[in-house]
Amino acid sequence: MIGILKRLFTRTTSSDFPAPPLIALDGVARAFDDGTIVALKSVDLAIHAGECVAILGPSGSGKSSVVNLLSGIDRPTAGRILWNGTPTKSRRAWARLRRNGIGIVFQEFNLLPTLTAGENVEMALMACGVPAEERRTRAAAALERVGLAHRVKHLPHALSGGERQRVAIARSIVNAPRLLLADEPTGNLDSANAEIVAELLFNLQRDTGMTLVLVTHDERLAARCRRCVRMRDGEVADDRIQAVAPTRSIMQEAAPPIAQPVEPATKPDAPTAETVRTLVEAAPPIAEATAATAQVRTSVTEAAE
Amino acid sequence: MNLAGLALRNLRRRPIRTALSILGIALAVGSALALLALSRSIQDATREGMDEVGDDLAVTQKDAPDIFAGFLPADTEARVAKIAGVVRASGEMFMFAPTERNRQALTIGWPETSYLWAKVPLREGRVPTAGERGVAVLGDATASALAKKLGDKIEILGASFTVIGIANYKAIINRGTVMLPLADLQELSYRLNQVTMVHINVARDASAADIARVRRDVEALGGVTVSTSSETLDNDRNFKILNAVSLAISIIALAMGVIYVLNSLVMATQERTREIGIVAAIGWSDTRIMTSIVIEGLVMCAIGCVFGLLLSFFTAFAFPLIPTIGDMISFRPSPRLMAVTIGAAFVLCAVGSLYPAWRAISLMPAEALRRA
Repeated sequence: MIGILKRLFTRTTSSDFPAPPLIALDGVARAFDDGTIVALKSVDLAIHAGECVAILGPSGSGKSSVVNLLSGIDRPTAGRILWNGTPTKSRRAWARLRRNGIGIVFQEFNLLPTLTAGENVEMALMACGVPAEERRTRAAAALERVGLAHRVKHLPHALSGGERQRVAIARSIVNAPRLLLADEPTGNLDSANAEIVAELLFNLQRDTGMTLVLVTHDERLAARCRRCVRMRDGEVADDRIQAVAPTRSIMQEAAPPIAQPVEPATKPDAPTAETVRTLVEAAPPIAEATAATAQVRTSVTEAAE
Repeated sequence: MNLAGLALRNLRRRPIRTALSILGIALAVGSALALLALSRSIQDATREGMDEVGDDLAVTQKDAPDIFAGFLPADTEARVAKIAGVVRASGEMFMFAPTERNRQALTIGWPETSYLWAKVPLREGRVPTAGERGVAVLGDATASALAKKLGDKIEILGASFTVIGIANYKAIINRGTVMLPLADLQELSYRLNQVTMVHINVARDASAADIARVRRDVEALGGVTVSTSSETLDNDRNFKILNAVSLAISIIALAMGVIYVLNSLVMATQERTREIGIVAAIGWSDTRIMTSIVIEGLVMCAIGCVFGLLLSFFTAFAFPLIPTIGDMISFRPSPRLMAVTIGAAFVLCAVGSLYPAWRAISLMPAEALRRA
C-alpha cells in the first residue's frame, strides 16, 4: 500500500518516458522500376540502442532492402527513417551518420582491392578527417580486435574469405558506431569461418553494447539474437523477443585472444553491456514494443507539426 | 595514404590507359607551348631586329595590311627628312627573296647614302661604297647556312652578288638577312623608285610631345602611317593571323588533352562504380568522393604537364635544325607562357574531371553496389 502511494505521489521525470528508438522505419516502402517491383510495403520497425536483432526471411523478402534503408545507402519510396527520433533524409546527413554512427558489413566483404587490410580500415577513418598517424594506430587496433594484427599489410586477394570479412568488420567498427548492420555476413563463408565471424559480431555487440542488426537466412544464427524480425513479401511478418540460444565460441578456441575494445562504450548515451542485458531482459513483449513504436511515431508527428 | 596517394594507386591499375591519357596531355601542353612560344618569338624577334637596326619611328603605306605589302615612293625619304624634328631618315625595301640551296632569305635594300649602313655591326669585310652595285653583306647565320665567305658569289633573285661583308647582329632575324644596295633590289624586284618603309631618327632629347608632333607632320604628307616598331608589328595582319592561329591550335590541343583525361576518368569511374559505392557506404561524403576523382584528373594533368614542358623544350632545341626557317627564328617558352599554359591545362582538367566525378556520386550507394 505504501509502495503504491509512493509511486502515485512521486514526481514524474523525463527518464520515466521510454527513450526514442535508436533507429526506426516509419511506414517505409521501397519500390523499383517505377513501382513495378515492390521490395518493401509500408514497414514499421523500431530498433532500440543495445538491441541485438536478427532480420530473417527468404530471398526477396526485403531484408536487404531494410538494411540498405537503415544505413541510408538507399532511399525509401515512401515513409520516413528516424535516427534518435529525428527524421533523416539528406545524403549528407546519412553520410555523416555512416561516418560516425553506423557501421555496415556486407555479404561480399566489399574491400577495395588495391588497398591493404590496414588501408581498407583506414578508409573509414579518412572519411572523418582523422590524421594519418592516428588512422594507422586505430586501424591497427581494429584489426587486432578482429584477430588480424598480422595481416595489416596484406592485400585482400591474399586473405581468406573469413579474413576478408573480419577486415570488413574491423572497418565497420573502427569509428565505434552505435549501430552495426550486417547483411548476410556469413553468406559467402564456409561453416568454420562463418562461426568465427558470427562469434566475433556477437562478442563485439556484447562487449561494446552497440546495437547489432543481423540480416540472415540462417535460423541458427538468428536464434542467437535476442530479437527476431521475420520478413515475408516486403512486410514484417513476425517480430518477437526470444530466448537466446547458447553459443559455441570457436573464436575463443581458434583465434588469438581479442584485445580490448577499440573504443569502449564511453559515449554518454551508449549503454554498457550490463545495461543492455538488463534492458533486453526487461524488454516488453512484442505487442508492447509495437505500441511503443506507434507512440514514438505519434510524438514525432506531433513535434513535426 | 591520402587522396593523392589513392589517386596514384588507382591510376596505376590501368597503366596503359593512364599512360595514353598522360601522353595526350603532354602532347597538348607541349604543342600549345611550342606554338604560342613560336608565334610570340617571331614577333619578338622581328621587333628585336627592328630595334637593333635602330629607328625611332617607321613610316609605312597607310592601311597596308602588313609590313611586306605596303610600298611608298622613294622620294618619301627626302620629304620626311625635311620635317622639323627629324634628325635623319632612310628608305628601306625588304622582302623574302629566293637564294641558293632552295632557301628564302630576308633581303633588305638600303640607299647607298643611308645611315643604316654605318650601323651594320660588321664581323668582317665592309659595307658598299657610294655607287657600288652587285655586292652584298650577309648576316652571319645566312653566311653560315650557305657556307659563304668574303669574296664568294651569292645568287639573289636570280642575280649574282659578291659577298663583301659579314655582319654580326644579335637579333636572330637580322642574322639571317642579306643586305643589298637599294637600287639593285628595286631593279630585281621590278619596284623602281619604291621603298617598303622609311626609318626615322628623332633627336635623343626629343620629348613625347616632340615625337607626337613629328608623327603628325609626317602623316600630313598623306598616304602614310607613322608608328613605332611595336605598333607596326601589333598592327601587322600577318602577325595577327599568326597569333590567332597559334592560339586557336593551342586551345584545340588543350581541349583534346582534356578530352583524353575526361574519357579516361569516365571509364575509370564506370569501372569503379562498386568501389565508389563502397566508399560512399562507409561514410565518404559526396564532396570527398568528387575531390578524389578530380585529384586523379589533376595528377594525370600534372604528370602530362611535366612531359609537355620537356617536349616543348625539345621542340625549341630541335627547331633550328629545320631548313629555311631554322636559322631565322628561334624560340624558348618563357616562364610566363609556361605558367599560363599549365594553368589553363589544370583549370580545364579540373573542370573536365567534374563530369565523371558528378556521375560517380549521382547513384545511391546501394545502386552503385548493385550495378557492379
